[in-house]
This record gives sequence, structure tokens and C-alpha cells, in this order.
Amino acid sequence: MSTLLSPVVLFFALGLIAALLRSPMSVPQSFAKGLAIYLMMAIGLKGGVEMSKTAMDAQVFLVFGAATLLSFGLPFIAYAALRVTSGLSKMDAAATAGHYGSISIVTFVAAIEALRLAGVPSSGYLVAVAAIMETPAIISALWLAMRGGTSKSAEETAHDRGELAREVLLNASIVVLLGALIIGAVAGADGFERLSPFFVSPFQGVLCLFMLDMGLNAGRGLRRGWRKLGVAPIAFGLYMPLIGASIGALLSTLIGLPPGDMALLMVLSASASYIAVPAAMRLALPESDPSVYLTLSLGVTFPFNIALGIPLYIAVATMIAG
Amino acid sequence: MTDLNTKLRLELIIESPALRRAEDVLKESGATGWTVLPAMSGFGGTTRWSRGTDISESTDMVVLICIGDANVIKPALKRLHTMLDRRIGVLNVSDVRVLRPDLF
Repeated sequence: MSTLLSPVVLFFALGLIAALLRSPMSVPQSFAKGLAIYLMMAIGLKGGVEMSKTAMDAQVFLVFGAATLLSFGLPFIAYAALRVTSGLSKMDAAATAGHYGSISIVTFVAAIEALRLAGVPSSGYLVAVAAIMETPAIISALWLAMRGGTSKSAEETAHDRGELAREVLLNASIVVLLGALIIGAVAGADGFERLSPFFVSPFQGVLCLFMLDMGLNAGRGLRRGWRKLGVAPIAFGLYMPLIGASIGALLSTLIGLPPGDMALLMVLSASASYIAVPAAMRLALPESDPSVYLTLSLGVTFPFNIALGIPLYIAVATMIAG
Repeated sequence: MTDLNTKLRLELIIESPALRRAEDVLKESGATGWTVLPAMSGFGGTTRWSRGTDISESTDMVVLICIGDANVIKPALKRLHTMLDRRIGVLNVSDVRVLRPDLF
């Protein structure tokens, strides 16, 4: 209940309700982009500082392997679920499935804050895990969509491959997260101390501001897309995070992760991308309908994870590994 | 009255992720310059869209304007038309008159 009533969730709810009521309120796009970079820098730096204090043992590399496997594998489960239960085309199902193998960095940030408030410690290297999980899902989605050939010309394919590689490997999330993680590890606790007035004290307030914008985005997406989607795809947006989180919990148990790290791996497995993957899909699969996957990832799964998923995953992780 | 010269003006409204490809087509066709403008909002088919409502910016639309001779615009037009087979977009060409033909 305390998570549901935290300012972060309440500001998200405010944005969501305002958008559903057709409020003209908006957060300027470039400002919101700056806020997203700030949040990624802050968690990257904190994660890097934490990593500088601990040794990289075999368990860390097992988690990296599990994360890669999850990101590659979850789109196949999502694709099968969508093709069996919904009337989505092969192209739309593949593009949507890619979103569910990748991650939502804002959900991850909100989960770190929820863990901090609950007094459950987590490891800094999970930030690197988040970055690892951004990309493999895109490859799985493209493979699913392009089985049996593509209508692209050879010229277009060659051109898009370069563009796509740049988008997939050098998107803002990966560059900022991994860059800040390395800077944090190099700077260490002393170096980070000097930055703390900018990256620690204002963090909660900036997150609230960003969540207000996310609420507005989610509400507008939901308002535009829900009629088009129907019951089965919307239900998928609610049960797929639970499937992802369950597989994340299973792998975490096999590796022997502590509760905080297990909860974060569950959150990463449960969340769906709405920044990196949509851009890659517009580039590689332009025939797919963005109103399907953006509405599902941002309008259905993101609010579900923020309001109910995160407290649930923390409770389950604490129960299993606590 | 100042002498005016007739040129072709190509206008392409397209999703921002496809912009670089469209620009490459113009460059390879020999265009010497073009301008890109942000499209604010619109309506097409059954969908109303507006800039700034998608955090990934992947559905933002842009307007690409290029003025040039027919021997530059027509080959570009053919390739851009092929590109639009799979993408959301509007392409049109019109005759325009320009003051400084050497710039195009």
C-alpha cells in the first residue's frame, strides 16, 4: 500500500488521469528527454560506485548470461502467446514481442527506489544487466518477423542494417547507462560524493516529474489505442509481465540471488521497452503498427508494473530468497 | 521584374526514423541541398497524431523539402516512391519558380 501511495506512483497516476480526461497539459519533449538522461546517469553512476566496491565473481557472470537468455527468449514466448490468443498479424505480433524481451529503464528506476524505501539492498551491477537486456530482444523480434522472407529491396536492407545497428547498439539508454556505470566505477565513492548534490538529493523530485510525463504518455496512448486493440492483446499486456517475472524468479533462484537482486531481475523480465525497441521497429519493420506495441508497452504494461507489479515482485522475491 | 527560373519542388512527409534514408536518396541523386521541418500534428486513415506524444520519438513525422532540376528530382522520386511502399508518408512534387537557379 505504501508503494501505491508513494509520490512517484501518485504523480504517474496524476498524468494518466489528466491524459484520460483530455487535459492539454504537457511536458516539453526535449525536457522529458533530458530528465530521462538524468535518471539514467544517476542510476548508472550509483551502480558503478557500488560495483567498484564489490568483486565481479562467477555469480555476476551467470546473471549476465541469464539476462541475455531472457532477452533473447522472452520474445518467443510473447510471440506465441500473441499469435495464439490475439488476432494480431505476424508482423505486429513479432514487433510487440520484441518490446517484451527488452526492458523499461523507468520501471527499473522506480523498482530501485521502491527497494530503497523498503530497506531491501540490491547490487549495482544490475544496471549493467539492464543495459545487456536492451538489445537481444530486437534480434529475436526481427528473426520472428522475417522468417519466410521480407518485402524489402536489397538496397533498402543494406541501408537499414547500418542504421539499425547504430540504433540498437548505440541508443541513448545503452550509451548513458554503460557510460555512467563505467564513470561511477572509475570515480568511486569519493568522486561520486562530489556529485551527490546533483544526483542524489534531487533524484526523487526529478523521478516524480518524469513519472508525470510518463503518465501523460501512457494515458494518451491508451486513449488512442484501446479501441483498436481488443480484449486479448490488452490481457496479454497484463499477463505477459507476470510470465516474464516468473521466469526471472526461476533463473534468479537457480543462480541463488539475494531478494533485492531477484526482485530487480524480475522487474527487468516483466517490463517492456517503449524507447529503444519502438525506434528499431519503425526502422526495421515499418509495416508493423506502432499503435499496437506502444499502447501495450506504455499504456498497459508500464502502469501495471508501476502500480502493482513492482510491489508484487518485491514481495515474491523477499518470500523466496529472504 | 526579376528573372525567375522553373524548378521542381519535392516534398516528403515521413516518419523520422526513415529520414536518413530519404536524405541519402537525395544525396545519391545529386541534390545540392534540402530542408527538414518538424511536422506538428495531423490526421490520416483513422489515426490522429501529434508530435511529442511518443517518448521514443519513433512516430514523430518530419517534412523534407528539396528543390532541384528535373534530372535530380525525378530519379529521387522513383526511389522514394519505392521506399513509401512499406512506410507511412506523403510524397508530392510541384513546379516552383526560384530567384537564384545556381543554388539548386
